[in-house]
Amino acid sequence: MSDPTSTPTSTPTGAPASGPLLEVEDLQIELITDRGVVRAVDGVGFTIAPGETVTIIGESGSGKSTTAMGLLRLLPEGLAVLSGTARIFGADVIADATAAGRIRGRGVSLIPQDPMTALSPVHTIGRQLGEALRLRHPGMSRADAREKGVELLGRVRIPRPETRWGAYPHQFSGGMLQRVLIAVALAAEPRLLVADEPTSALDVTVQAGVLDLLMELQERTGIGILMITHDLGVARLVSDRIHVMRDGRFVESGPVEQIVDHPRERYTRDLLAAVPTLGPWDETPAAAVTEEAL
Amino acid sequence: MTRYLIRRLGQSVLTVFLTLSTVFILVRMAPGDPAAALAGPNPSTADLARIREQFGLDRGLLTQYGLFLRDLFTGDLGTSYSFHAPALDVVLDRVPYTITLSLSAIALTTVVAVPLGVWMARRADTKRELGANVLTIAGQSMPDFWIGVMLLTLFAVAVPVLPASGFTTWGGLILPTVTVAILQMALISRLVRREMVAALASPYVTVARSRGVSTRVLTWRYAMGNSAIPVLTALGTRFAAMLNGVVVVEVVFGWPGVGSLVVRALETRDYPLIQATVLVTAALAVLVQLLIDLAYPLLDPRVRLGKAA
Repeated sequence: MSDPTSTPTSTPTGAPASGPLLEVEDLQIELITDRGVVRAVDGVGFTIAPGETVTIIGESGSGKSTTAMGLLRLLPEGLAVLSGTARIFGADVIADATAAGRIRGRGVSLIPQDPMTALSPVHTIGRQLGEALRLRHPGMSRADAREKGVELLGRVRIPRPETRWGAYPHQFSGGMLQRVLIAVALAAEPRLLVADEPTSALDVTVQAGVLDLLMELQERTGIGILMITHDLGVARLVSDRIHVMRDGRFVESGPVEQIVDHPRERYTRDLLAAVPTLGPWDETPAAAVTEEAL
Repeated sequence: MTRYLIRRLGQSVLTVFLTLSTVFILVRMAPGDPAAALAGPNPSTADLARIREQFGLDRGLLTQYGLFLRDLFTGDLGTSYSFHAPALDVVLDRVPYTITLSLSAIALTTVVAVPLGVWMARRADTKRELGANVLTIAGQSMPDFWIGVMLLTLFAVAVPVLPASGFTTWGGLILPTVTVAILQMALISRLVRREMVAALASPYVTVARSRGVSTRVLTWRYAMGNSAIPVLTALGTRFAAMLNGVVVVEVVFGWPGVGSLVVRALETRDYPLIQATVLVTAALAVLVQLLIDLAYPLLDPRVRLGKAA
């Protein structure tokens, strides 16, 4: 157990910068569905230190997104039963759901799966970004929030950010919206970023730009990232460590080189085989495998 | 925007005109004879013929319609047979009463149904919500004349705290308002619940929660902001329907509105009065609909006109 005095509830971000940002032990999540109780996450454990990117990779239904959403206590109340421990900045968010409420938007941010549905369509992006800034800094004026928000939009490379402040989500492309959402996530001045398949809904050409941006932000600010993906190409690019998830359990864990170059599990090798490779067309076995997997 | 407005106004005028023409023909095809209603008991054939001639009812349908149109464009809707006064004036005298009752009923509906619907959505599928659900189904199932008579029996007869009939004091507004509003509250609260349940389950609500937005703001700004269009449309449609006369309720409470007038006009086959009533109520309904349509772009940027992304 961590010393509770080290994490005063008023300023959860004031916790010591040393030590892991996130420590998960024996996390179990049961979901109550129409077909009965499903154990979506079955005893996983991992840690994320500042500046680290830890990836959970798995096919859809493996429990990776449930893990991420469970850690932020964003699963539907009453339909998800969580047990185990998950300490974010030292506070156990499984034992105390209100602890999660205190850190959401103040030190921890989420980058969602589908940018097209992640912002309220009837409010301007300025309103939603400004709101995030003012939640982080309760005393901030609207004018200051706007100035800071425009600066954030510039940082995520939205062209002409001051003219885009009053625009609505439907006036942006998917890639631009994901940048806006990264700006909204940054408004919380996060030390831990949970990225739930941040590029799955985007064109391949746009994906690289968004990932580059995330990596650049991490280099500059030293945030820890929990990356959820089904795409080993993404995982290989961004991760320090990878956990391969299947049916709610980690089947293989290790540094990125080990998982990518020397996978032990057949499941991991299948995931690797599913990555399309670019190169001259020839009839090598690798190309055949790729085609098979598609 | 101006072109859109002109087009919509043109559509509105056409709608009212077609409604009026349809009613003009239908009342004349329906059984019953105004002359018989006016002549008193045991009229002679000559009396009837004289009355028909007096009101121009002896001419062909097309001729009558032509004359009606000619007068319509000068703002003359004829003289009411039974009131012996310009039909339009008779209707316009009644309109403020109907508007008062409709506004009062839609206001009560809104202040009860919207919070109730939100409350139900926040507790969707719990036992307490089930209780509220049963109430709304009951409200939907009770006929308004029955509710009216029950309320009269309770609050004007058993415990005589409110006037039973007419509109002489503001207290007289309460029972008819409640009677009209009960059904509307049941319908609107269920609509609000359905819309809010869907909106609260939207990804943008979860993502907003992830950045620390409070439940209150999530409910009222995010979910309600995104449910506003269907809710407003329903409220507007119900309001427009009320303006056409809450016939049964007006009769039960002796309310001097358009609804009780239309009953009298139909009973006496008072063609000019029926036509004037239809013109006024159709114009009001179309106007309300137009205002709702104009409100859409304010509520949803995606339907904003002439403003491309």
